[in-house]
Formats: sequence, C-alpha cells, structure tokens
Amino acid sequence: MGETEQVATGLRAELRAYVEEAFLYLHPDVELRDEDRFLELGVIDSLGFVELVEEVQARYGIAVDALEITEEHFGSIDALVAFVARRR
Amino acid sequence: MCGIAGIVRADPAAPVDADALRRMAGALAHRGPDGWGYAREAGAGLVSTRLAIFDVPGGWQPMRGGRGTLLVYNGEVYDHPELRRELGGLRDAPGGAAGFATTSDTEVVHRLLERDGLAALDRLDGQFAFAWWEPAARRLTLVRDRFGVRPLHWAALPDGGIAFASEASALFASGELRAEPDLAGIDDVFTTWGPRAPRSAFRGVAQLPPGGLLVWEDGALVARRTWWEPDVGPGAGDAGAEAAAGAAAPAPGELDELLADAVRLRLRADVPVGTYLSGGLDSSLIAALAQRASDHELRTFSVAFHDARYDERAYQRQVAQALGTRHHVVEVGPREIADGFRAAVAHAETPLVRTAPVPLMLLARATRAHGITVVATGEGADELFWGYDLFKETAVRELHGRDPARAEALLDTLYPYLDVPAARRGPAWARSFFEAGPAGDPLFSHQPRIAATGVVKAFYRPEVVAALAADGSAPAAGAGTPRERVAAAAAERLRADLPPAFARWSALERAAYLELTTLLAPNLLAAQGDRVAMAHGVEGRFPFLDHRVFALAARLPPERKLGPGLREKAELRALAGRLLPAAVAQRTKQPYRAPEVAPFFGAHAPGWVEERLEARALDAVGIFEPARVAGLLRRCRAGKATGFREGMALVGILSTQVWHERFCGAGAHAAAARAAEPGEPRVALDAEGITNR
Repeated sequence: MGETEQVATGLRAELRAYVEEAFLYLHPDVELRDEDRFLELGVIDSLGFVELVEEVQARYGIAVDALEITEEHFGSIDALVAFVARRR
Repeated sequence: MCGIAGIVRADPAAPVDADALRRMAGALAHRGPDGWGYAREAGAGLVSTRLAIFDVPGGWQPMRGGRGTLLVYNGEVYDHPELRRELGGLRDAPGGAAGFATTSDTEVVHRLLERDGLAALDRLDGQFAFAWWEPAARRLTLVRDRFGVRPLHWAALPDGGIAFASEASALFASGELRAEPDLAGIDDVFTTWGPRAPRSAFRGVAQLPPGGLLVWEDGALVARRTWWEPDVGPGAGDAGAEAAAGAAAPAPGELDELLADAVRLRLRADVPVGTYLSGGLDSSLIAALAQRASDHELRTFSVAFHDARYDERAYQRQVAQALGTRHHVVEVGPREIADGFRAAVAHAETPLVRTAPVPLMLLARATRAHGITVVATGEGADELFWGYDLFKETAVRELHGRDPARAEALLDTLYPYLDVPAARRGPAWARSFFEAGPAGDPLFSHQPRIAATGVVKAFYRPEVVAALAADGSAPAAGAGTPRERVAAAAAERLRADLPPAFARWSALERAAYLELTTLLAPNLLAAQGDRVAMAHGVEGRFPFLDHRVFALAARLPPERKLGPGLREKAELRALAGRLLPAAVAQRTKQPYRAPEVAPFFGAHAPGWVEERLEARALDAVGIFEPARVAGLLRRCRAGKATGFREGMALVGILSTQVWHERFCGAGAHAAAARAAEPGEPRVALDAEGITNR
C-alpha cells in the first residue's frame, strides 16, 4: 500500500468512526456502507449536517463555505473522504 | 383548585376503607394544601383536598346536593356568578332566596348537574375535572374540561368497581393497584412528548381524555365518550368553504373584546391573582389585559436563565416596566435544573423529553412564596393563532411542492434563534427539511417532530421492541424490522384516533388540531402545566383556552393567523401593538426551552445522574440498552451532545429511570402506602351505618 493510499485509508477509518460515534449509534438497524447516502437512510438530519460540517472544519482545519454544504461533499462516507482529501 | 379521588365498589355492601381515603388525600395534599374532606357511603368513598380560591371559609367538599348526590370537584367555572343568578341565587350570599349554602362555584356546578344532568356541561366556562356520585342509581360520572387543563385518572378494579384520582399517585396510595410501566404509554412520550389519553405511563391507569366523560353504573361502564371536541376551522375543502361562508370571519376588534372578557373572568377569585410573564407576545398580552382589568397592582412572575441562549429577561423587564407591575424573577441555572429534575418527574408522573417543566416548577414555588396562588398565563395562544415554528415549517414544506424556489428562500428566514445562522446551513439542510414526510400523510405537519423524538426509541432493549411490536392493541404497522414496526405503529395509533372532520381541514388546521391533542393536553398543560404548578399549590388560568376565544380563532381566516411573510399570530400581534411596547409586540417567537444536557454532566452534576444511568440501573428497569446508552453518555460527557435529538434522548432515558425508581422500583410500593398524613378532615360525611375501621 502506497503512502497516499494509507493516508486515505486512515482518513476513511477516522471519518467512519466519527460518523458511528456521533450518529449511527442512534440508528441500530442501519448498516452503513461507505457509499450509502446519509439523508436517504435518515442517519443524519438537518441539524446533524451542521455538526458534521463543524467537525470536519475543526478536525482537518478546512474552511467550508455554506454553498459547499451539499450532499456531494457531505452526503456519505465516500463523499466526505473525497472532499477532505481534496481540501486539507 | 384541588385534588379529587375516590373508590366505588361493585358490591354496595363492600366497604371502602377510611384509611385508604385518608392515604389518597395525603397523596394529593400538594394540590389542596388548605385542607381535605371525605364522604363515605355504602360501597363508595370520595375525597377532596382543597386549594381555597372561591368562598375560602365555606366551599369545602365533598358537597352534598339538595337531591342527595355528592360532588368532588377540581377547578374553576368562571361564569359561576351568572349561572348562580340563573339558578335563582340572586343574592350572592349564603342563605339567599335560592338557599345556596356557599358562594363557591362548586355549589353552582352541583346544582346545575342536579337540575340538568350532563346537559349542564355546555354551560360551563372554565377548567375542571369532577366526580359526581348519585347514590340512588349507584352512578358515578367523571368529567374533564374541554382542553384537558385539569387531570383525571381512573382504574377499573378487579371487583368491577372503579377508582379515580386527579393524580395516579393517589390511586397507588389507595392500595387498590400497583404502579407498573405501560410500554405503549411510554412509547407515546417518545413519539409526541406525552402519554395520550386514554393511555397513561402506568399499566391499568387510564386518563380521561380532554372534553371526555365516563359513566359507571352499578358495576359496569355504561358510557365513555367526549362531550366536546375541538373543531379547528372551517376547512379548506368544498364543504369547508360552505362552512366558512356560513360562519362569518370575526370583525376587527372582536378578539380584543372577547379576550379582555376572558381575562376579566379569570381574575375572579377571593384571593390575589398574578400572571406569568415569559417576555413573549402571549403572556405579555395577558399581563396587559390583566393590569387593565385589575384594581390593584398586578404581580408578574418570570423565569430567567443563566444561559443567555434561553434567557428572555430583558423583554420581561421591558413589559413589566411598561405595565407598571410588581415583577419577580426566578433565576435558573444548570444546578437548579438538575436539583429539581426528580421532583418534576415525580409530579409529572411520566417520563419527559424536555427539562422545560423544571423551571416552571421552581417558578410556582416562588410564586406561592410571594403569597400568590392563582396565575393567568399565555398558554394556548400558539395553538389557536398558529404561533409555533411547526406552523411555518408546515406552510413552507407544503409550498415546496408548488413553488420550490420560494419555499427555499422562506426556509432561510426560519429559526433566527438557532446557534447556526441560515447562511451556515447549506443545501443539504434544505433537502433534509423538505423531505421530512410525504405530503398526503395526515401527520404531514408532525412527521419531523415524530422522527426527531423517535430517536429515544433507538435505545430500547430488543425485548421492549419485541413487546411493542407484538402489542395487539396497535393497528397493523406493516412490514420492516421490529424497530421500524414500532415507529410505524406509534404513528398509526395516532392516525386511527383522528376525527372525521380532519379530512376537510387544511394542512395548517390539521397541524393545529394535532398540536392541541398531542402536545398541549398531554404535555404543556400536564407535565409542564398543571402538575408542576400544583406541585406547589399554584393554579394556572388560561384566557386563550376560553372556549369562546377558541371558537373565534377557528373562524379567523388563515392569513389573520399566519400572516404574509410567515409572520406568526398576525391577529394577536395587531392587538398587542395597541397594548404593549413595540419591541415586544413585533418580536418573533422564541420557543420556551431549558438546557437539557449540561445540567447533568460536569463538576456540579449530582451523583444520582450517573447512578441512574449505569448498566446495573438500566438493567433493573429493563427499558433501555446499556451499551447504547453508554455511547450517548460518552457524547454527553465530552460536551458533544448538543443537538435536539441527543438532548431528548438523554432527558428521555434519565427521566424514565427516575420515574421508574419513584413509582415502580423496590420500595416505591411501600412508600405509596405510607402517603403523607393529611391531618384532620374539614369535612367528614359518614353515611348512617358506616363506621371507621
């Protein structure tokens, strides 16, 4: 595994752990895959998105513009990994 | 205002234990701290504890009527002087021409009942719950007021008899039944914030619904029905348009006059009256009208929070100064909430999802300490005049189907009081908001709340989920996992109870009906109203819940409630503009909330919190899953549980644990049997042949 891949794997694990700890424990029936959409599964609601965005900003030192708070960037584990990897 | 209770046996020869009645009175002593009385007859016993408001020296209960019937009565009928005149008691004094023995409203209600039977109910303008015993027919009639301001519980006894009480605690104190959890009643709390009548949080204990009555006769329930139901509007459909044409919209100024009259009637008392002042539009309006109608200096009482996000003291002060009231403030911080929490749960007699009742309990304590036992408040205005955010959300979500761009622009104007400004929410927020529930669902307006509150159910143990999913009383909830079926069943129970008129109402009228029946009565008037006020012998009075004000509000065209640009309570705001400082009259509504997680964690948190939430305690109660609760606690301790959902989850779980310990835990049953000693009775009506045992 190359260094970039290792970083991406670490990032993925970190983000998944965060999503599990902050949101998934409220949804015992959901088995979330990395490509699953948070909104469609009801895992994260509107206020949850606010928390998620704040966490990403604080944890990775990224400034997120309001117009960037879209599902494309924050809507799934895959989306989060891609967004953070690109921006940090 | 008072507490009432009683036991009636199927077998007239079966005795009702005097000690049981005394214990029931002891359990209700906080509702009626001025004294108590009882009546015992063959196979029947009634109890009253009294908070004296009308005819302080004379109005003791149980009251024996001219035709030999007995009445125990909790509440007020405000138009009692007018009704008394009609009954021939022209002189408002005992011993007058019509032979009234007292000047109390109780006696007027009793006479009307003896003359007209249940037809008398339509004449009563007020808030009341009573039990009427007709010995000749061996008939017990239980009645509750239109909106459910005053509580009334009952239980069928194994011998075919019936026991009733203002609060369930008195039923347990009687020794006739034991407190056990009712999972469907608890599940109601985690659906729409309170057990919905007839359910309570206790198995075998029913609540009489608002506007409900029950008749038990000689061993059998012969009637259970509502005598009044809210009709929230002319409706949006064709039939509704016809109805609207028939009932003309209120003229400008009509509300001013009627609300002033509702306030004037609610200042009637033989003791001093004050008002609660939140700093918002509704209570400020009531205070202004009360000040105008009162011939002495009005006393106002407010809660102020240490945490500025919840605090409204600047507005409270502004109103108090503008009106020239004598103003009192109770400061509430995290410690006060944590310290008062267990008592609030004990008085509420149900798990909670908010800490908001605690400050109101502390406010009642302070009010009483200042010598005031009756307060008028603004409760009901948000339901009648569409003040809650829920109405705006419903309007915007409905608009989204027709005009998405405009709906999205309006969404940005909602929630100005949230920590997160509109500019920081983003498109994902909007999508989640607009997809909260299907447009055709009767529960459209309430699906976001039901979904958010339902988060507490994620913590249920598998066996609780299985028991709820298998509950035969729930309508078929379709496919899905047991957890999904439990969530669906709760919504289906609610849909099944909707009245036929629901179909002709608009989305906002439906929202109003659901607010009245799922939030106002089961929660705001109960756990957050009657129970925490009566915990300290304070009676709340609600001018907006005068049924004439309600009828007027229902006739108002929608735009005079939710005005252009989502301006809430347009009609009330116009009235407030004439009576209040502009800053208050024009202020956007701020929901009343109290801190939910912070009080229970950190250096100042009391030790019982962690004790009640540890795995052993959770296992002992058997409702919530320890491993999952541990995840929530980690978030709470780290200060991460800042959202509404986690706040509700914590309060829901903690209150359930506290509630169970108080009522159902080891030692609770024995404690119920040792209810407070009420002292010597002021009334002791022992029928012939009844002896103390």
